[in-house]
Amino acid sequence: MKVKAKMKKDMAVVKLLAKHPMETGLRKDKKTDKVIPAKYIQELICKHGDKVVFEANFGRAVSKNPYVSFSFAGAKKGDALELSWADNTGETLVVDAVIK
Amino acid sequence: MYNSVKKYFKVLVLATAAQGLFASTAYAQDPGHYGLGRIATEEEIAGWDIDVRPDGLGLPEGSGSVSVGEGLYEAQCASCHGLFGEGEGRWPILAGGYDTLTDDRPQKTVGSYWPYASTLWDYTRRAMPFTAPQSLTVDETYAITAYVLYLNELVEDDFVLTKENFLTVEMPNADGFFHDDRPDVKNKACMKDCKDPASIKVISTIAGVSPTEHLEEGAEEESAGEAVNEHGKQVYKQSCAVCHDHGVAGAPKTGEADAWTDRIATGIDTLAKRANEGYMGDAGMMPPKGGNMSLSDEDVTAAVEYMVEQSQ
Repeated sequence: MKVKAKMKKDMAVVKLLAKHPMETGLRKDKKTDKVIPAKYIQELICKHGDKVVFEANFGRAVSKNPYVSFSFAGAKKGDALELSWADNTGETLVVDAVIK
Repeated sequence: MYNSVKKYFKVLVLATAAQGLFASTAYAQDPGHYGLGRIATEEEIAGWDIDVRPDGLGLPEGSGSVSVGEGLYEAQCASCHGLFGEGEGRWPILAGGYDTLTDDRPQKTVGSYWPYASTLWDYTRRAMPFTAPQSLTVDETYAITAYVLYLNELVEDDFVLTKENFLTVEMPNADGFFHDDRPDVKNKACMKDCKDPASIKVISTIAGVSPTEHLEEGAEEESAGEAVNEHGKQVYKQSCAVCHDHGVAGAPKTGEADAWTDRIATGIDTLAKRANEGYMGDAGMMPPKGGNMSLSDEDVTAAVEYMVEQSQ
């Protein structure tokens, strides 16, 4: 997951690219003719300190390598962010970022 | 008339004057040529000769870090190529796409497809940014190249790209290309012991339209064996069959062996002569050439031969 967080006036703008296949579980492998098992992000959370400032509930319909952009108030330059996702197979990823 | 002559005269004078001018300057500099142009200066060649090759040849001195590149990229590149190289709209994607080259829709990026980092450097300096090509300095080009490599996870975030370490960058698809050494054409020119030119036929066919059966080996001999006297058959059908098919006016019917036995006994030459010149027999009259005087003697003889063949 790649994250860019920047202060614009008094708002923190966060842009992130979550590297994930986002398999729906409905697609077939053309060569083996078997269904590719589902693997998609279900929950994406951004924490500013202990406070959750952004939460997304994704489903199968979200594209591969989802790109998310959002902004929130109440942050300042140099603050730490903790971003994480969890997918339907139980896999998780946590990434730390600093607001520039 | 007078006007055109005058114009011509003027132009001629001008042309002569111009020629003289060129000759006096250019010949002095570079005798042996045609008095056109001049030798480019080293500076001009350097401005033009900016290619960078896979082995690093052509790279100027300089350096740029990923962190400097990030700022430049976000200011000058990200509006089209996307903040993470994912490509805005339909603009080119610069990062990602690994292991997709064999997919139905391969994603060809710097990281997944390009075999040389030098291409990235050269192209960025030569053609980017799209709205202001060749506006980047050498160090800026190094920095942006470093950042695009970072977006492709080929270098770390503290990497500084320089002329010296340029070749240490490993491109994932560097071995994905091969030299195609096939010849331009498969046909080799024959220089000795060649096929007899007389035996070579140039045949044009339209698939599904032109008959090609006769070109197949063996087909020709077979058909030749069947139709012994094709020419005679044609003449017969055209000019003789009208009477001889049905025995009109005492004509012997073709294929009726009884009617023909005695006639064949007189010999083919006699029959041919009678057919050509006309004959008054017991049964009826044979008009000369069956009444079709446009036929040659050979045509009629062939027709007679055909009838005899059919009636034996």
